[in-house]
Amino acid sequence: MTITRVEVTPKQGEGMRDVRGDVVRRQLMSDHNIKVEEVRSINGFLINSELEKTEIAERVNDLFSDPIIENTLTDTLFLSSTEHFPNTPAAAITIGFKPGVTDNPGSAAYDGFKTIFPHHEHRNVASISTYHTYVFFGLPDGVSTEWLASTLHNNLIQRAVTADAAACSNGEWPAIDYPEKPPQTLTPPQRMDLEIPDEELISLSESGLLALNLEEMQTIQSHYRDETVRQERTAVGIIPDAPTDVELECLAQTWSEHCKHKIFASKIHHIDTETGEDTIIDSIFKTHIMKPTHDLQKEVDWLLSVFHDNSGVIAWNEDWSVCMKAETHNSPSALDPYGGAMTGIVGVNRDILGTGLGARPIANTDVFCFGPPDWEGELPDNLFHPSRVFRGVHAGVRVGGNESGIPTVNGAIVFDDRYIGKPLVYCGTIGIMPRKLPDGRESHIKTPTAGDIVYMVGGRVGYDGIHGATFSSLELTEESPSSAVQIGDPITQKKMVDMVLEARDAGLISCITDNGAGGLSSSIGEMATYTDGCEIDLAKVPLKQAGLSAWEILVSESQERMTISVKPEDCAAFDAMAQLHEVEATPVATFTNTGMFHVKYGEDTVAYLSIDFLHDGVPQLQLESEWRTPTPELFTPEAIPLSEQAGHSPLLLRMLARPNIASKESWVRQYDHEVIAQTVVKPFVGVERDGPGDAGVIAPIHGDPHGLVISCGIAPRYSDLDAGAMAAASIDEAVRNAVCAGINVDKMAGLDNFCWPDSIESVKTPDGKFKLAQLVRANRELERVCRAYKLPCVSGKDSMKNDYGTGEKKISIPPTLLYSVFGDQPDVRFTATSDFKNAGEKVYLVGISKEELGASEIAFMLRDSGEATGIGGQVPLLPNPEINITTYRALSTAIQAGLIRTAHDCSEGGIAVAAAEMCIGGRLGAGIDIDGTGDASVWSRLWGESLGRFLVGVQPEDEADFIEWMAGHPITMLGTVTDSENLTVSDGYDVLIDVDTAAMVEAWQHTLDMTGGVA
Amino acid sequence: MAAPKVAVLFGFGINCDHETAAVFNLVGGDAERVHVNNFILGNRSLDDFEILAVPGGFSFGDHLGSGRLLGNRMRFALREQLHAFVAAGKPIIGICNGFQVLVKTGLLPGPNAQTPLPDFVQRASLTLNDSGRYEDRWVTLEFDANSPCIWTKGIQRIDCPVRHGEGKFVMPSTTDFDALAANNQLTARYVDPSKPIGQGMTDKPLPFPLSPNGSMRNIAGICDATGLVFGLMPHPEAVYAKWLHPDHTRKSAPGPPTSDVLGEWEGEGLQIFRNAVEYVLGNR
Repeated sequence: MTITRVEVTPKQGEGMRDVRGDVVRRQLMSDHNIKVEEVRSINGFLINSELEKTEIAERVNDLFSDPIIENTLTDTLFLSSTEHFPNTPAAAITIGFKPGVTDNPGSAAYDGFKTIFPHHEHRNVASISTYHTYVFFGLPDGVSTEWLASTLHNNLIQRAVTADAAACSNGEWPAIDYPEKPPQTLTPPQRMDLEIPDEELISLSESGLLALNLEEMQTIQSHYRDETVRQERTAVGIIPDAPTDVELECLAQTWSEHCKHKIFASKIHHIDTETGEDTIIDSIFKTHIMKPTHDLQKEVDWLLSVFHDNSGVIAWNEDWSVCMKAETHNSPSALDPYGGAMTGIVGVNRDILGTGLGARPIANTDVFCFGPPDWEGELPDNLFHPSRVFRGVHAGVRVGGNESGIPTVNGAIVFDDRYIGKPLVYCGTIGIMPRKLPDGRESHIKTPTAGDIVYMVGGRVGYDGIHGATFSSLELTEESPSSAVQIGDPITQKKMVDMVLEARDAGLISCITDNGAGGLSSSIGEMATYTDGCEIDLAKVPLKQAGLSAWEILVSESQERMTISVKPEDCAAFDAMAQLHEVEATPVATFTNTGMFHVKYGEDTVAYLSIDFLHDGVPQLQLESEWRTPTPELFTPEAIPLSEQAGHSPLLLRMLARPNIASKESWVRQYDHEVIAQTVVKPFVGVERDGPGDAGVIAPIHGDPHGLVISCGIAPRYSDLDAGAMAAASIDEAVRNAVCAGINVDKMAGLDNFCWPDSIESVKTPDGKFKLAQLVRANRELERVCRAYKLPCVSGKDSMKNDYGTGEKKISIPPTLLYSVFGDQPDVRFTATSDFKNAGEKVYLVGISKEELGASEIAFMLRDSGEATGIGGQVPLLPNPEINITTYRALSTAIQAGLIRTAHDCSEGGIAVAAAEMCIGGRLGAGIDIDGTGDASVWSRLWGESLGRFLVGVQPEDEADFIEWMAGHPITMLGTVTDSENLTVSDGYDVLIDVDTAAMVEAWQHTLDMTGGVA
Repeated sequence: MAAPKVAVLFGFGINCDHETAAVFNLVGGDAERVHVNNFILGNRSLDDFEILAVPGGFSFGDHLGSGRLLGNRMRFALREQLHAFVAAGKPIIGICNGFQVLVKTGLLPGPNAQTPLPDFVQRASLTLNDSGRYEDRWVTLEFDANSPCIWTKGIQRIDCPVRHGEGKFVMPSTTDFDALAANNQLTARYVDPSKPIGQGMTDKPLPFPLSPNGSMRNIAGICDATGLVFGLMPHPEAVYAKWLHPDHTRKSAPGPPTSDVLGEWEGEGLQIFRNAVEYVLGNR
């Protein structure tokens, strides 16, 4: 084999730009305030093939470079060419991948390579690796090459080769070499002796990244002492009295917190020190989530499938059902923000594809929680700066979503210091499927039978992604393994999605699920419960590199794979379809009804576990929970001096600039939110298309205005006072956002995604009882509000170890519930957006403002600045949700009736911020009077975040009808939209705020625009 | 009369195939999504279709340049079929990634007015936006009324979204542009919506974001010398209905007052597809 180097660089000249170089230059300016004169870029390819270098050189313009815009050199570094690089640079940095890391451009180049050398006999053994070189000119003093390189790569997955100024003057250029994978040695299955003392059981679990506790290890130990088990094992020729490494790994994956949700399933002894309550809760999940949803399922006919599948399915109309799932990818995103987030979004897409007999992903949602992007404080070891996490995560979901052709229609970005320790990366996907397939089967029901052939479809299995499920069940440390990090390959997945949906419609699929956490062990293991058994041959599994051991093949979480079962008579058609789509599909197992999870490697049995033990053998955790109300210092705004002249005006501009409130447009605009030609309400709305959208609205069937609403709510600040209030606020916000778009409140469903810090009391977590009590309270509020709103939780997920470090340096995230809502919108021609539409529009408050400033955004802002001493006080509560929902129904139907085209949720920053955002969206002014909105203080009525409130705009000619429509519901006339281009808010005769709309636009848009412009 | 058969390519990361097929069907076409490999492997023949659409997407992830790898597959494997298609007078449209594919196969802009049929030589390119960012934002387009393009007949101005990271249209020299301009092949341009309708087109580069990508001469789309092959970066299919226009809750979404398919709700983008269907029906 020969390695041929091909380099490509943009042509210089009139109208031509080196855009990749410009992006690096702008980001150095934007993130670090470093001004570099010029950055140029070179793309490199290292082609490992049996072709002569001259053969490749003749065809470079057919593949590697675009002759209109690029120059290319074969086997020579551009940097050594004085023709192309006449000036000596100040630094040159080359970034390439580490061996074995997914190199998508390299794979694409290889595909193209086969197209241009179609008849070459050696084409199939070639492989191509890619790199980028950045060349810096006019670098300020004191900027070291090493530091520059560190900003350009993540050494967990990439390599950097550098040349500083001295090396550049000497012509010592960075020449990166081909990343040869180290050979893997296949280890035969090992006997794992569990007849050892308890301490050794614990250390075996820890050193092996098994994340199993002592009781679980002992449960496994005793399983292998069972005589019947030993006899059965002897009969199939596997070690009788101890697990193999394959079995132990398989059990660890299947029993992981990630897969089994052991805390939500635990038996909790709960004490409330305030009320004296002392009770046992047997599974939060069954009690507070499953039971209410199942109760509701008896009342409605549209809840088709809840909890047991990869996502929850509701009937949307006669012909179509829709489903939704949201996941988190927090730990991988902390280690490699780009790859971690990308695998998050493409992973949850597969949950949709793996729902029923296969649903088509049609919309994504992304919600992120980060540390402050302008953080100047200390950073713990091994953690990236929040701005870097932000950029990387954003890029990952952008590439993952855009390349998959799935619009990102809704999301949020939340900031808090504590997310520095662990960013939260929530990725959600909505899917659609025909209620009935052409062959008459209902699409939401899987139909496997014993004897069906089980295929692995899509990507191959590699060393990447080993231990993802167990790793995410541990806290992040400096030693966290790089194999838990992967980069997604959206195109491989897109080909697979196209093929799977064709196979579904052709009736070829009897069962399908995603390969995510736990890999084949989970996917085949879970599907095997339908027929009560399976037999897998790991030797048949196609590998990225030879030499993987049996346990690695079984648990690897390599991406882009589905597990699909096909009837033996349909296999030929399935194979042909895979071939047409150039998708790898390999039969690796058969469903049986033996009751056993039987894994072979060729002829040898390497795992033999009963389905019952595998799935139901994990012992229930017994946990302690104790609630005491936090008592942070009170927020006392009355003591804050206000300018005589300007009143609250400066506060409004500062609030609009708060990262939690500021516009995220420059980030969100980089997501494709309109592919599929269905997005009716886009993430940004209004006359300049830059006002905030409350919820996504789509009309997925072309030509038909029947719609779907997708929204979310998240309020982690409130956990500082009461995680129960936090949960209620999140749900209420999600529903209110959906109401603003005209959702049918009688046909909506929700997803609960809990991200919590470790809540099991231990040396590492001395406050575990309190954190668990927070979880109990959150779930109790979830049940109470969802029952009142008749809002079923159809699918949820929890991530329970969101901490960094230990002891003094431990950082735990604030308990965070993301609540997502999706539901029916009867006719998208009648919906509303937040922007004021025209002068003369009447502004109404729907809902009641109360004395609830505790943990409000204004309290946090003034505490952070030192103007206030605390954030404590009354947190917003939802005392009568059954009344709220009637108001929501009235407002939503008013929108559906065409009475209201302007509606905005009132949350962070209260009425002041909501009104400001509506002026921004319409580029209009408004005169608003908050007198008459209740008995609360001025601060509460202006900035308070009481739940259940909206601001709406009503055209004068519709005002009388609107008042009649809302009879019996709390509405207050606040004022009128004006073309004066300023917002005034008064309290009777007292003017509180008077700010130009242009100033509000500037304040709101500036903070998070980290693009560095276009110059 | 039988509805014109439209082949809408899909596979390998094309992802606007569903909506592109849907808009042809709305205006009387008979659209079918056909996997690229079905043409390459000979399972299906382009001869059986009267219109070809190459939709938007991220074919092969746009690695090695947008549209390049799919363009290569078509250039090497479908050369004769594509040549025969254009020679038979059948329309082709490429939208976004499809436009990039048509440019990289050399179908656009094509040779010249004297010998207009495809020679599969790449003469232009679509490269990274000056901003360096992929963006989804709405733009305003105007069309050259004198263009031979059969797709844009009678359309003056439309609003629609762009969704790309590589939409900057470039050619090696100004004479190349002048030649295309002389033949009215610079069909679609980004314009400043505040200019009166019909007066927006200019060669002078417009600032971001009026021109979202820094395209030379504000070019959003071009046609070949026959007027049959048309490519554009923006997405007219994404505004087939007024409810997809950002101004629809402001009751000011532009578009025809009535239509036979969507009543008062037809969006501005649909006419492009109707033009091709009517062209085929008129030339049978």
